[in-house]
Amino acid sequence: MMSKRKSMSYKAIIVKRDDPGTDKDKSDLQIRELKELAEAAGYDVVSELTQTRYPDRKFHLGRGKVEELAQMVFHFSPDKIIFHNPLNTMQVYNISEICRCETIDKFQLILEIFATRATTHRSKLQVELARLEYELPRARAVISILKKDERPGFMGLGGYEDSYAQDIKNRINRIKDELETIQKDNRSLRAMRHSLGFSLVSLAGYTNAGKSTLFNSLVDEDVEAMDMLFTTLLPTTRSLTINGRQVLVTDTVGFIEDLPHWMIDAFRSTLDEIFLADIVLLVVDSSQPVEQIKEKLLVCHETMWDQLQDVSIITVFNKSDLLQEDELQQCINYLGYLSPNPVAVSALKGSGFDKLKTKIYNELPEWERISLSLPMSEEGMSILAWLFDEGIVHDVEYDEKIYIEFEAREKIINKAISIINKFY
Amino acid sequence: MFDIIAVDISGRHRTNDEYIMVCAAVSASVTADNIEKTNQIAIRSFRSISAPDVTDVINMVETTVAELKFGGTIVTEAGDMYNKPQRIIDSIFYQDFKYQESLGERRCIELAHHVSLAARKFLLKELGLQ
Repeated sequence: MMSKRKSMSYKAIIVKRDDPGTDKDKSDLQIRELKELAEAAGYDVVSELTQTRYPDRKFHLGRGKVEELAQMVFHFSPDKIIFHNPLNTMQVYNISEICRCETIDKFQLILEIFATRATTHRSKLQVELARLEYELPRARAVISILKKDERPGFMGLGGYEDSYAQDIKNRINRIKDELETIQKDNRSLRAMRHSLGFSLVSLAGYTNAGKSTLFNSLVDEDVEAMDMLFTTLLPTTRSLTINGRQVLVTDTVGFIEDLPHWMIDAFRSTLDEIFLADIVLLVVDSSQPVEQIKEKLLVCHETMWDQLQDVSIITVFNKSDLLQEDELQQCINYLGYLSPNPVAVSALKGSGFDKLKTKIYNELPEWERISLSLPMSEEGMSILAWLFDEGIVHDVEYDEKIYIEFEAREKIINKAISIINKFY
Repeated sequence: MFDIIAVDISGRHRTNDEYIMVCAAVSASVTADNIEKTNQIAIRSFRSISAPDVTDVINMVETTVAELKFGGTIVTEAGDMYNKPQRIIDSIFYQDFKYQESLGERRCIELAHHVSLAARKFLLKELGLQ
């Protein structure tokens, strides 16, 4: 779909309104991000328009600016006008009427990207849920506008405004039920992974921070990693062994600024991978200016807050090869108050991975360590084989008995002790 | 570790024709994702006939913080200062001030929120207003 779009070169004009007194650098960053989002959705951005003023109730921008926008539409003939700011239904209608071009806002654009890339049943449901939750508060207004269009008694139903909203609500409930079932399956899968002794590590971070590249390098995998926003929409899990401990690493969808709550709710089953992990690797792109990294870290902290359980966080300063060592150290020091357990890596060059793995190992849930002795028999040897499977055997001495130095989670230790007690 | 003073005010709504507010200030050492040590907590109550504006809120915060023996940057939620830009609020405060950013700061404000809420409930009970 996307390549088709590119080949057909869909065009878009991006628009942003700033409140007076807005930081210019931040505003520039936001418009650049909107441009990248539009490109990720397959649009060719032909022009940009910004205005600094408080929002207009009718057009969001000033009336004159909308007329200027209409002229730009006439000149460039874009397929869509994309606003950075959230628009209400009346504003979308009014702007579309004057400009004669389809108008969407940033959230609809994100939904469009998600819809384009949704491949599994679960992700399709999530996109549909997010779309419906976006549509629900606008449903009544949409019908009112349709009725205004000289269509009294639309569909022949007097209470159509309400029934349409009710229909959306019913569809939302149906999808939520279905997603809840999937979520339960995932929870039990996660519980099973825990009971099998795996620790769960999740990659989190702002979109395009390099999570997938890091994931590929860490677990020697080949998931799609591109220099584009929202390349990953579905979590992928692979196992990794660190000093004998098996961990499951999950690559997840990235965060973005102003992600509304309804969208977080819709993608909850995806985001749960982050919120219910034992360790979160918070990935940041250290090649960017410090202030940008700070802004993105703030978004990550805000998104993770509320949902995050008691987990350890390791901040991974990715793309460290693009900076001098002293620059990198300065950046890490400056952002110390926002970056727990910082470690610098280059996912592309493969540097810093030993440090990262040591940090992960140190943060893993603690295992107990005991000394055991087993009879030198066939049964004893089979228990030893089981211990090798379930934990880390640090030392084995074969004498009259088998002496073992063993480390494992509490459940396995208790089981091993009860088995050994049967021999004596 | 960073020394902060997390502040939260409960009761900024009308109760029996007046505003009975409790401000809690928690002095703590925090890391980026956790509270490492809580040094001291100060609680003060305030009553007012009219709704508090930004300067009233700043006065309440400064009065409560003055009772602490430990220093640090004052941290609040943006909503507590009516979402005014940080630079404006910072220029009014005598001490360093910022809005919450890291998870550690948020956890500390959550703690201050629980303290102020519980203290206010207790106060209303004592006053026979609940």
